[in-house]
Amino acid sequence: MEREPVAAVSIEGLRKTVTVGFRRRRVEILKGVDLTVGEGESVGLLGPNGAGKTTTLKIALGLMRPSAGTARLGVAGLHEVGYLPENAYFYDYLSGRELLGLCARLFGLSGGARDERIAEALREVGLQDAAGTQLRKYSKGMLQRIGIAQALINDPRLILLDEPMTGLDPIGRVEVKRIIQRLREEGRTVLFNSHILADVGELCSHVAIMRSGEVVWRGPVEDAVPSGGGSLEDFFVQVVTEGAVEPENAGSGSPGVTL
Amino acid sequence: MSRAFAIAANTFRETIRDRILLVILVFALAMIVASLWLASISLGQEARLMQDFGLVAVSGFGVIVAVFVSAGLVRKEIDKRTVFIIFSKPVGRGEFIAGKFLGLSATMAIVVFGMTVFLFLLVWAVAGDPSGWLLVAGGFIYLQVLVVMAVTIFFSTFAAPILAAVLGLCVFAAGQLSHNVLSLTQLGSNVVLEGLSWVVFLVVPNFSAVSLAPVVVGEQVADWSAIGGWGGYLVAYAVIMLGLSWLVFRRKEF
Amino acid sequence: MRVPGDGGKGGRGPSRAAGRRGALVRSVVAGLVMLGCLAAVVAFQVTRPAQSAADSAVFVPSPKFFKDLSPSFRTAVADAYWLAMIQYYGEHVEGDRQLDSLPAYVRLVTDLSPRFERAYLFGAFALLDAGKGQEAYELLVRGARRNPESWQIPATLGMLIYTYADNPAKDKLAAEWYEKAAAVPGSPDYIPRVAAELLTKGGEEAKSALMWGQVYATGDTYARDKALVELDELLPRDPQQRKEALQPLAALMTPQQFLTLSSILMGVLETP
Repeated sequence: MEREPVAAVSIEGLRKTVTVGFRRRRVEILKGVDLTVGEGESVGLLGPNGAGKTTTLKIALGLMRPSAGTARLGVAGLHEVGYLPENAYFYDYLSGRELLGLCARLFGLSGGARDERIAEALREVGLQDAAGTQLRKYSKGMLQRIGIAQALINDPRLILLDEPMTGLDPIGRVEVKRIIQRLREEGRTVLFNSHILADVGELCSHVAIMRSGEVVWRGPVEDAVPSGGGSLEDFFVQVVTEGAVEPENAGSGSPGVTL
Repeated sequence: MSRAFAIAANTFRETIRDRILLVILVFALAMIVASLWLASISLGQEARLMQDFGLVAVSGFGVIVAVFVSAGLVRKEIDKRTVFIIFSKPVGRGEFIAGKFLGLSATMAIVVFGMTVFLFLLVWAVAGDPSGWLLVAGGFIYLQVLVVMAVTIFFSTFAAPILAAVLGLCVFAAGQLSHNVLSLTQLGSNVVLEGLSWVVFLVVPNFSAVSLAPVVVGEQVADWSAIGGWGGYLVAYAVIMLGLSWLVFRRKEF
Repeated sequence: MRVPGDGGKGGRGPSRAAGRRGALVRSVVAGLVMLGCLAAVVAFQVTRPAQSAADSAVFVPSPKFFKDLSPSFRTAVADAYWLAMIQYYGEHVEGDRQLDSLPAYVRLVTDLSPRFERAYLFGAFALLDAGKGQEAYELLVRGARRNPESWQIPATLGMLIYTYADNPAKDKLAAEWYEKAAAVPGSPDYIPRVAAELLTKGGEEAKSALMWGQVYATGDTYARDKALVELDELLPRDPQQRKEALQPLAALMTPQQFLTLSSILMGVLETP
């Protein structure tokens, strides 16, 4: 009997309520998120500010606790995950190499294996020459790249990127896009939040759109941008302002993304 | 445990590179000036006064530095978002607390023992014949600093850095008055007050159980069992505070 | 339309110059204000009156206050009051000689630091200067009890009794204290000699000279100054006789100390 392929990300009925303000007012940030991402897929998670994208990722990573529902990452959990947080900031006085050394040790890598992975990660992001410089002297683009490098240090099967293009100049954006494209080609699973819809359209195979704590649309990029006309931006605005839209060709039987 | 050591090494590197060791230089300069002044007005008692006042300065500088590096421990990581880099990896909350504490302990060891050794050499150069107990006293100042650090780390898991720092300093001051609280437990007239006093006496760290300064200046003979017992108490107290820190921190969301 | 003299910039020239002038005026005014403040700060400080002599009666806390407050820093508190006591004594002994708070200082320092030997020795002479001989005696008796390994305290007590006590048996009492000093391991060889001298009849001045010689050999600056004054009064004015009277003191001190002592006491005779 064929084994059911294991999803890289499996989120079911995820809810999160927080209390805010002096009067401890309850606010429901996530209202039942369902999201599954299969191995090798690249998924763009879109939504307006406050839709719950970052909260969903944080619960999946264990940085926050869900009020209800479950969020699972692959088989080996955090050991096979790489994460780049939004507006990543690092330890001022560490060099790039020292940061990667710390991250490698946190994954239990040591000795020659660690040094190899550090060299490989630096090569992947093109920062070999700046590896010895302290991070406080890095430009914004270099910080994003070292952030991706630390997300790759454990050779992860799943990579979560939260707004990887934020604050980058055009050259920086091109470099990061190139890295993400390479990750796709290597067969890794990529899930990233972004406001830059053009990048999502270019880099992702699938899209999930969130609004007010729920996933309101999910499906292949082609379904959101039919070949006849229209853009992802138009589709996004339509979904976010008008509500859920049924995908035109849902249920393709792909073992990957149910979405 | 290797993850805790990785965090410890990183914390040590960060604090050292943050130029915290300059405090040793400030201490050294202050002690040199003080020793020159004392030599002219102390009627031949420079060695005694330098050792006494020097130990007070080591304790004061040590506790202040410890409180301020510990107070921002958690908040700094959250504000700088480095907490996401750490906890998106398979690192336990307990490993984080332990690693941070070990790293800060290594830094404070350099600070406290640096100042103590400098004091020893200065007394030797200026007045001759420093007491070997000066180095032991420095060791026990270090243990007290570890306790103050553990207490401040505990406060930092739920309070703003400035509040955690103030509370840490208050606990240090209260610890110096521990013997007073003990006397309140033996009044014999008010059971409620005695009970409350016992609670306070047990909760506040006892920094006045043994005083090594009189041994350093030759006023008292060392009681090894009392000293050893006190050292064990201080280590155990620090471990308890770190455990409480973990209990609070494991519920924290980022 | 171009306006003559505007540099072709249509009226912006004069306003830009005005702007620059305004910035210059503001900088000058700010600089003058800063200089004025600096002058005021310096002037205030340099015109502070010199510190008037300290009150003869100052507040000295009870030892109990510090024993309850800070056992960890007890010796440091004793040291701080030791410094304060020296300053207090120095200010008043040269001036009005009103040392009302001296007993409180001595009590505080020696109670907080019972084995601070120098505090007993200095305190005793200071109390004598304050006209409080009985307190000086009681201080040294307390000190001898708390510091059984000190030979200096009983020896000083012996000296005090012989020099200042108004008691027919003072020779014997002083000798007893010298014998206690002699019994302490490490005490100098001359102590038993002094004890024996005290018990021989006559030669009061020679015995006193011996006492003050011991004070000179082992005391601090203040004690040495006092010893010099007393020895100058005791010893004969004739140079040859003075020289002979000084000889027994050589055994109490190092050659360098004796040389210094002799030159001062012989030199006094040469001064008109």
